[in-house]
Amino acid sequence: MSDYDKDRGGRGGKKDDKDKSARRTFFRRRRVCKFCVEKIDYISYKDTKLLSPFIPERGKIQPRRISGTCATHQRALQQAIKRARQLALVPYITD
Amino acid sequence: MSMGRPMKSVRQYELVYIALPDSTEETLNDLHQQVAGIVERFGGTIEKTEQWGRRKLAYEINRQREGVYVLEVINGPGEMTAELDRRLRVLDTVMRHLIVRVDEDLAIAERARTRRKTATAQRRVRRGLPPEPTETELNRRAEDNDDLDAIPEMGFRSERGER
Repeated sequence: MSDYDKDRGGRGGKKDDKDKSARRTFFRRRRVCKFCVEKIDYISYKDTKLLSPFIPERGKIQPRRISGTCATHQRALQQAIKRARQLALVPYITD
Repeated sequence: MSMGRPMKSVRQYELVYIALPDSTEETLNDLHQQVAGIVERFGGTIEKTEQWGRRKLAYEINRQREGVYVLEVINGPGEMTAELDRRLRVLDTVMRHLIVRVDEDLAIAERARTRRKTATAQRRVRRGLPPEPTETELNRRAEDNDDLDAIPEMGFRSERGER
């Protein structure tokens, strides 16, 4: 119990072979919100260069659990990507 | 939210429209005049116009693979957008358009920026430093950030490989 709590509070980094399930065993970098780190307050739909790292090959919006974006910025990012899609700046889907 | 709002609300909008790829200078001018006419009728002003030029579309629209993008930043009342929307939809030289209200989001961003700035200044003063970071400090911080930036990037790649 206490072990578990401790681990969740950590930086989600190190290899931990003691008790964690298989998905935790691979090395995971500490994920930080890009927009918090770079202090980007406004995510514009016009800025394709800013959005593109969050749009993998398929054209879907990258989930938070993978990109590490914080909730606030993920919401703003989602809005921006959807607007950019309407203007054909980024794709809806690509196959 | 409600503070300092004028009687008749003037809001800032961004209008982006995509004209046909073979549009001439003339048609673009004509489009701009039409937009300007509507804006004027509602007592608004066009703050700036940006021509992005011919761009490849991310997907086909009306069998076209390219389009001419134009951005207009407009100050005006809300009723104006409905009219702009209606007119742009009718015009067949415009393949697509989008009107977005930006003043509120920009104000929020601006507030966040000032809040961060004052917080930093206060923190620095409490530590007995000058409120603004000095040149040398800024340079040092840029070096620190170099590897910070790299972390999320590498995170993406390793995770994607995993799936």
